[in-house]
Amino acid sequence: MGDRILAIARKETRQLLRDPVYLGLAFAVPLMLLLLLGHQLSLDVKDLPVAVVDHDRSPWSRQYVDGFVHSEYFRLVGQLDGEAEAREWIRAGRARVVLDIPPDFGRRLSANERVAVGITVDGSFPSRGQISLGYVEAVSTLYSQQLLRAWLVEHGRWRDQVWPIQMEVSVWYNPTLESKNFIVPGMLVIVLMIFPPLLSALLIVRERESGTILNLYCSPASRWDIVAGKALPYVAVSFLDFLLIFAVSVWLFQVRFVGSAWLLSAGALLYSICTIGLGLLISTFTRTQLAAMLATFLVAVAPAFTFSGIFTPVASQDAVGRFVARLIPATYFMDVVRGAYLKGGGAAPYLPSLVALATYAVVVYTGAWLAFRKRVN
Amino acid sequence: MRRRLAAMIRKEFSQLFRDVPMLLILTWAFTGAVYTGGHGIATELSNYPIVVYDLARSPASRELVSRFRPPYFKLVGYAWSDAEVVAALDRGQANLAVVIPPDFERRAREGGARFQVIADGSQSMMATIAGGHIAGIATDYSVERLERRLGTGGPGAARVPQVEIRPRVEYNPNLVQTWFSSLLEVFNQTTMIAMLLAAAAMVREREHGTVEHLLVSPLRPLELFAAKLVPVVALVPLANVASVLAIVHGAFATPIRGSLALFYGVTVVYVFAMASLGLAIAVLARNLGQAMMMLLLILYPMTLLSGALTPPESQGAVMRAVGLLSPMRHYVDFGYQVLFKGNGLAYVWQEVVGILALGIAIFLISVRRFARLVR
Repeated sequence: MGDRILAIARKETRQLLRDPVYLGLAFAVPLMLLLLLGHQLSLDVKDLPVAVVDHDRSPWSRQYVDGFVHSEYFRLVGQLDGEAEAREWIRAGRARVVLDIPPDFGRRLSANERVAVGITVDGSFPSRGQISLGYVEAVSTLYSQQLLRAWLVEHGRWRDQVWPIQMEVSVWYNPTLESKNFIVPGMLVIVLMIFPPLLSALLIVRERESGTILNLYCSPASRWDIVAGKALPYVAVSFLDFLLIFAVSVWLFQVRFVGSAWLLSAGALLYSICTIGLGLLISTFTRTQLAAMLATFLVAVAPAFTFSGIFTPVASQDAVGRFVARLIPATYFMDVVRGAYLKGGGAAPYLPSLVALATYAVVVYTGAWLAFRKRVN
Repeated sequence: MRRRLAAMIRKEFSQLFRDVPMLLILTWAFTGAVYTGGHGIATELSNYPIVVYDLARSPASRELVSRFRPPYFKLVGYAWSDAEVVAALDRGQANLAVVIPPDFERRAREGGARFQVIADGSQSMMATIAGGHIAGIATDYSVERLERRLGTGGPGAARVPQVEIRPRVEYNPNLVQTWFSSLLEVFNQTTMIAMLLAAAAMVREREHGTVEHLLVSPLRPLELFAAKLVPVVALVPLANVASVLAIVHGAFATPIRGSLALFYGVTVVYVFAMASLGLAIAVLARNLGQAMMMLLLILYPMTLLSGALTPPESQGAVMRAVGLLSPMRHYVDFGYQVLFKGNGLAYVWQEVVGILALGIAIFLISVRRFARLVR
């Protein structure tokens, strides 16, 4: 039985080696994606275009607006005349935030009163809207603090440590908050969920389309021999892909890596077995290569991109998102990858994730074995 | 010419409709996938899990802790030792720890109280946003304590100058993420499926060797390409609009403010552009596997540069310029403007021209390459 698995694996390997363009792309494309995204893409929300309607035009209001000019998060794009123009700028997308400073801004502040500034935000991109509101609040708070300190000094109530509460921030695991340390390991998980399953999803359906599946039907190889034999070389390709990306990320990108390479490799091997199996399962269900590819996109690739936690932590997703996240292997591998790259420490915290990946593999291969029938229909 | 084109188009349609599993998958792409996708990527802070290690256990520290509330933060537990803090962060149970020292109460009264925030930097984007929120919490609490101490804040008391903000959010007042995400999913599906269907229709002929039949037929390359595009351009925009109406508007109650006719018209142009890109790939690829690799190489950068996940204004000059070469960047901008803001052609004509020009250019280049290849 082992011989038959190896024979099929040998046939698949030879077929893979005979299409060097395909094989080359299978290694080059993930790497190119990583280079492009890891180096160039910025996830930070900064340089937001902000416009000002200043009804006051006093030193106070200018000082307040200066806070925005000097912030890296905003870029002042214009002084506007009134609310109609402000709406128009938001509508046309020329400004994402408009500050409306009331005419009594300076007078009220100099009279030690509270004053409210109107903030209009473009909500058509809600995340960005919320982030920009947070920034506006931070800039305004900073200005209020300055005012308050000045007031306290003026009233002789300022002592060295009078500010009641202060916070100290320390960042663990990625102290400089560099986004490459966050994006590149994340992209490793995504890339290994894109290419391997798409490759293996074509395996059975391609034979079906070209008719060579009949050879398999007539061969003495059992269903399990065929599934395992086809999976084997592709798991190897996926694992080599992982090693390549891992090497590039650590040596070329200088991504922080503090954990155990063995733990990461064990996770990657399990994950590769899962993703190849998922592709095979899809392959047994579909009749054309096109359908198999589309199904892989929808069942494997898209959920990994959306729910694995690369952009939004699983805990911050809503109920549907958390449910989907628990069903896909990418979430568990993401846990192992981020841990191994950034957190370090022992393997113990990641055992549940490894067990989840192994369970997933068992389910997927059992499914593929059951769904693959040696029958012409 | 019209008859042979019509015959070819008929063949393409029947080929498409015979693949029943694929039709089911397509249906899922524009219904179920949009629905789950609507719950997807959010880059704001929500239910960020925190653990608290309160060494002070005093009224002041409890009041501080009570300010870490939903929707931004979620208190997942208390730690009673340094080791427990480390464990909670290591295991990822919490992404943030708040450590309050034993002298917090006294220092808060006298001034200069400090608390420590430990953020999990492996989620660097969220860590930054969370840090900003906590700074706000600390300042608000400080100001309130100062006012209490100075006897300000109440009526007739001493007053301090403060700037407040009164936010108004246009187009999506409660910043509902699903409105945005579900529509983005429709755009993503449209992009991917338009490219894939067109590429597959062409590569299939090569893989089966039937491209030779077509080449010896009186069909010209331009007609062949047009025939491959017609079913895609006919079906995908309809599925797109149906999904916008049924899922985005129907299931998520997203208000649609703009003209659906304009949206449909430009979607047709966009699908034409993306399907042409699919054909351009098909000209280069020998089999579907190769085509898929090339497609992905284009699709993912395009998705990430579309302006939906990352603001174009925050990208560097190179990435912004590359983004402008992608029809998706223009289409995403167009789609949100028309459907969410109710903008008409006067606002979006630049995006429309961009999509049209890119589409025609891609189509002509790929036809010419193909014509040269078969000569």
